[in-house]
Amino acid sequence: MLRLVRSEELPAGQIATHFPITQQAVSQHLQVLHRAGLVAERREGTRRLYLLRPDALGPVRAVLDDLWPDALDRLKDVVEHDKRRRS
Amino acid sequence: MTPDLVVTTTIEASPHEVFPYLVQPDLLVRWLGSWVEVDPQPGGVFAVDMGETSVRGSYLEVEPSHRVVFTWGIPGNEQLPAGSSTVEIVLRPEGDTTIVELTHRDLPADRHDDHRKGWTNLLGILSSIPQE
Repeated sequence: MLRLVRSEELPAGQIATHFPITQQAVSQHLQVLHRAGLVAERREGTRRLYLLRPDALGPVRAVLDDLWPDALDRLKDVVEHDKRRRS
Repeated sequence: MTPDLVVTTTIEASPHEVFPYLVQPDLLVRWLGSWVEVDPQPGGVFAVDMGETSVRGSYLEVEPSHRVVFTWGIPGNEQLPAGSSTVEIVLRPEGDTTIVELTHRDLPADRHDDHRKGWTNLLGILSSIPQE
């Protein structure tokens, strides 16, 4: 879905024709992508048009930048806690 | 090319004591995710649920007390599909401690570091996107 709107702004109805699910399900999917900041939404009359945000390719990296230091902190805590308990 | 993500920490224990926490489900689950299923041998499954996000991959290399390498991705995620990136964790003894160095490679292009704030909960959001 993101690939479809990578270079071209498309209305929800046209995007829906590419998927074997209801237009309502596609609209819900697009809403989630919009809330997540991955696509921009523009209204034109009753139509909603979607386009991939050009800056949307970074979030995964940003999440991992936060995730790994936290995870290694927990690893340290757990290992050292267990070691103290054993001694 | 996207720079690798490198994170290190020092643990007051030997590599021999740290290593099981990288390969045993009952120990992995205490620091990495809420649910873990792993088969720590080359080609073996590496599956972790972190919050609502499912991370899926497989072990590439397993060197006891020294190093593990596994693939890492999120099924249905456009940027980081299952198995698309690689995580290497190396344990190096230093006196009575272990230096843990984690390197996450093959990450998707990052065009904006300044958007980091506000994205910290994205793992949960991504997981709510229906999979096609």
